[in-house]
Amino acid sequence: MNPAEERPTEFDEKLQGLLGRCAAADADALQRLYVLVSPILFACVTRILRRRALAEEALQDVFISIWQQAGQFSAMRGRPMAWMMSIARYRAIDLLRRERYAPTLVAELPERRSIDVQSESEGGSAAWLPSSELMERCLALLSDMQARCLELAFVDGSSHEDIARLVGSPLGTVKSWIRRGLRSLRQCLES
Amino acid sequence: MKPDNPEIIDRLASEYVLGTMRGPARRRFERWRASTPLVDQRCRFWEECLMRLAKGLTPVQPPAHVWPAIQRRLKLTTHRPALRRMRSFALAASIVLVAGLAGLLYWRSHQTVRATLVSTISAKSGEHIWELEVFGNADRLVVHAARLPARPAGRDYELWALPKGGAPVSLGVLPSEGASSRILTPIQKRALAISSQVAVSIEPHGGSPTGQPTGDVLYVAPLRAPS
Repeated sequence: MNPAEERPTEFDEKLQGLLGRCAAADADALQRLYVLVSPILFACVTRILRRRALAEEALQDVFISIWQQAGQFSAMRGRPMAWMMSIARYRAIDLLRRERYAPTLVAELPERRSIDVQSESEGGSAAWLPSSELMERCLALLSDMQARCLELAFVDGSSHEDIARLVGSPLGTVKSWIRRGLRSLRQCLES
Repeated sequence: MKPDNPEIIDRLASEYVLGTMRGPARRRFERWRASTPLVDQRCRFWEECLMRLAKGLTPVQPPAHVWPAIQRRLKLTTHRPALRRMRSFALAASIVLVAGLAGLLYWRSHQTVRATLVSTISAKSGEHIWELEVFGNADRLVVHAARLPARPAGRDYELWALPKGGAPVSLGVLPSEGASSRILTPIQKRALAISSQVAVSIEPHGGSPTGQPTGDVLYVAPLRAPS
């Protein structure tokens, strides 16, 4: 089962409505959307880019893309937050490449964050992230190192080489953890 | 050569979404995704799944100057607070009147914001179902849904460009109500440039999984320059 097929939350529906209005060129809707989701998207690009000025540039680009592509968003194909977060992550990864700024400069392994997040944005605590028992169950099946490597790649934008350096394991082992972790998730989610 | 094995496609999609696919391979994959619904579908699956890995992210308020910068770049104007709006109402009204007249004259003389292509998809009874407008300057397709016929549950109507001598190119799922506006990809623009017709097929929820029409083609309508 695809988590996208789970029932949309009230927050999803609010975002969908705003994206629909953006597609019809309603500038007030984009501003409302910015208030609601910019804190989490800014956190996302800052974590990958690690430089505030670059993260601010990325956030501008992200909202310009959201405005221009809002008409392409289809609630039938996914949740609005996953769509917007993907735009943000891909933009940050593109900027990493353009700036030739690699997170290999980070010497230490970032701390793992707590699961409960107090969101400052409207919608309350981590309202941007719908609960998904299925996904939680599947993530719990991963080994510690598989989960750690996937998190470093997805959240921190780390490459295979960066992860190998950060966790102090051979590159081949890291690639194997990632490959097996993704396979395990797919099998669990689609079973 | 692009793989057609679903397992390989899925593995590539997961690596792309995770971010470990880098460099030229990432650029090539992005182009492939833009033109292949099955690849796009697998990417969306992984985008939904992996989003939970970011559950530890703590939201960070962006600096106050970022939103005005976005407004400037998009040339947006949003509604001002009531007091300021009241104060500037008279001035704004005059400006709007003058700008409106100037805009009307500009529109008539240059017609740069007019659609470059239009199409009306109608039922046999003659009732309009969808109106399409393609804006060449903005590379934007706007679809207005009018009177939609009943459709089977869990299915969608998908729009196709029919390029001369080539396979149909998807222009996306059609809206069931209201208007939708989307930016065209380079592949869609090229297909429209050599198409004289568009078609609508009935497809599974979310659009054709193969990149080509899989259900019945229900409507074919000519693309024409606006009158």
